[in-house]
Amino acid sequence: MCAMSTDVAVEVENLAKHYPPDIKAVDDISFEIKSGQIFSLLGPNGAGKTTTVEILEGLRNPTSGKVKVLGVDITKNYAKIRKRVGILPQNFEPFDLLKPPEAVIYWARLFGMTFTRKDIDKIIEDVGLSDRKSIVSKKLSGGEKRKLGIALSLVNEPELLFLDEPTTGLDPKARRDVWRLLEEIESKGTTILLTTHYLEEAEKLASVVAIMHKGKIIAEGSPEDLIAKYGRKTSIVLSGAGKAGLEEIKRRGIPASEMNGDVLVPCADRSEMRTYFAKLSALDITMKDMYTRRDTLEDVFLSLIGQKMEDGELQE
Amino acid sequence: MNRLIAEVISSGKMTFRSKIAVFFTLIFPVLLILLFGAIFSGQGSSAITLQVQNLDEGPLSEDLINILNATKIVKVEYIPSSENITEYIQNHSLYVALKIPEGFTNDVQQLLNDPNITFPIGLTIYGDPSNQGFMTSQAAVNNAITYLNYNLSGAFPLISVITSTVTLEELEFIDFFLPGIIGFTIMTSGLFGMTSQCAEYRSRGFFKLLATTTLTKWEWLISMFIINTLIVTVSLLLMVIAGILAFNITVTLTLLTFVFVMIGVLLFTGMGMLIGTVIKDPESGTALANAIGFPMMFLSGVFFPIESFPSYLQTVADFLPLTYLANGLRDTMIFGNTTGALSNLFILSVLAVIFVILGSKLMSWKEK
Repeated sequence: MCAMSTDVAVEVENLAKHYPPDIKAVDDISFEIKSGQIFSLLGPNGAGKTTTVEILEGLRNPTSGKVKVLGVDITKNYAKIRKRVGILPQNFEPFDLLKPPEAVIYWARLFGMTFTRKDIDKIIEDVGLSDRKSIVSKKLSGGEKRKLGIALSLVNEPELLFLDEPTTGLDPKARRDVWRLLEEIESKGTTILLTTHYLEEAEKLASVVAIMHKGKIIAEGSPEDLIAKYGRKTSIVLSGAGKAGLEEIKRRGIPASEMNGDVLVPCADRSEMRTYFAKLSALDITMKDMYTRRDTLEDVFLSLIGQKMEDGELQE
Repeated sequence: MNRLIAEVISSGKMTFRSKIAVFFTLIFPVLLILLFGAIFSGQGSSAITLQVQNLDEGPLSEDLINILNATKIVKVEYIPSSENITEYIQNHSLYVALKIPEGFTNDVQQLLNDPNITFPIGLTIYGDPSNQGFMTSQAAVNNAITYLNYNLSGAFPLISVITSTVTLEELEFIDFFLPGIIGFTIMTSGLFGMTSQCAEYRSRGFFKLLATTTLTKWEWLISMFIINTLIVTVSLLLMVIAGILAFNITVTLTLLTFVFVMIGVLLFTGMGMLIGTVIKDPESGTALANAIGFPMMFLSGVFFPIESFPSYLQTVADFLPLTYLANGLRDTMIFGNTTGALSNLFILSVLAVIFVILGSKLMSWKEK
């Protein structure tokens, strides 16, 4: 990996993309991605994630705003950085009739690289397709196709990787495989811009998450920061403690609330949690279990947008 | 250059692995050649059947029938002497039949022995004079009688007509047909192939994918041209081999033939690209390519000579690029007419330049 001249890989300033008559697909957004981090654009379908990424990839022209990728103004000279950027488009499909190694060498040549058999085998092995080398791509499973797509995006050893919904439509196992792969890629110092509508995915992989909704970024920060800022406090849950439990706990001067038969005790910090835990453990309350519960990005999302999201669709 | 080669190799692999592509560019044209060649070939049962009722019992009628058979224009079959010939013709929907009268040999013998008898001896030919088969049979019968007359009277013809064929060898339908099918294959691989490929590449995001590499649009276009030229060349060789083996056709593979292949591929690839830029999904792409390709296929003299069209359709044919491709290929492969070939080539080249420039200018890999 060559040394970066700047520690900012992507700079976006007041970016907008409008379509006639008055659709604002991307509505004045700004963010930056530091080198070496996984930055996630999180949001439901139609939030403007793909439009944003395709502008950053040089596949669409912005209506207004400034975008610098790897220090280059993308509206001026994208050709300069083509070789330094890797791309997995949304709904990636490989060429049906090429076998994975053939697709890899084809793609490497398109970037002007000469690959030896060893290079090909390595990249195929890295994405976990070693035992699928002699199968034409259309016979690969959804997850394998996506892995091949990631392999193709890696042939030019990119400093910056754009992954547009890399796990959409994959089963949980395939999704976890892809996650592991992305963590490996990140560990080599590659900067990754990842769009997703899976909250769990953003929370697990990204060091910075920008939540996008209706063309705007409505919140940005590390998952922890976002949870601290928009989520509820961490609570001790006494499951099945019920109304009786609640009375008992309140009588001891501990703030609590009841939800679906469980009693929740919010804790401001760790020392408070420790104190409450000791006190609650001493009580003689009938319950099934006692554990701590921490808000996730899902709760943050719900409190920010007011709707849950499932498979990229907002639920009523 | 490296990128170009990579594109040619990969797309070539994809094409040869695609069963549909292989069928339509390599197998289908050969099948057409074999099929149409068999339908129109001059061998076997091409002689017209001439039904003859022979009421004579002498040797002369036998001689006449042998002469008729020897012309190879007609093949004699017999109507039983018990039948009423007019009824027989009607009942069997014949367009021609010949009656040799009773005592034919005897009458002729008498005539030869007794110079005082002056009447000629009549044979009767029945049928529908507007029918081409009737006319051919009538001519065959007349020739046979003339030959017999000369023989019997010991005379010989003073004037005779010799047919001298002007083309290299006698042309059959298949000779006409083969260059047409080559033109047709160039059109299908360029127009249909390119249209559906563009539509597929667009709908499946392959163009976007290619746009993210360092491959340029021009490099891609040139590689498509190279692949199509290679495929059509293979197809052409297969067709020629099939034609020679099955029908002993007379074609010459000139250098100009391959120039026609290249210019034709360029033209129709450009046309396919142009259609490919307009349409969004593979289905409408195929529909549009069919709407343009099929009428062109039938009106450009690929299957039937343009000269047999009504004049207004001949005018339409003048505006179709495939007309010039089929005519040009015929000029160089069959007639050895280089001048004619070159003028067709000129028109094709101009069209090719127009379509390629338009197609490549209007094609965009990016989104709006």
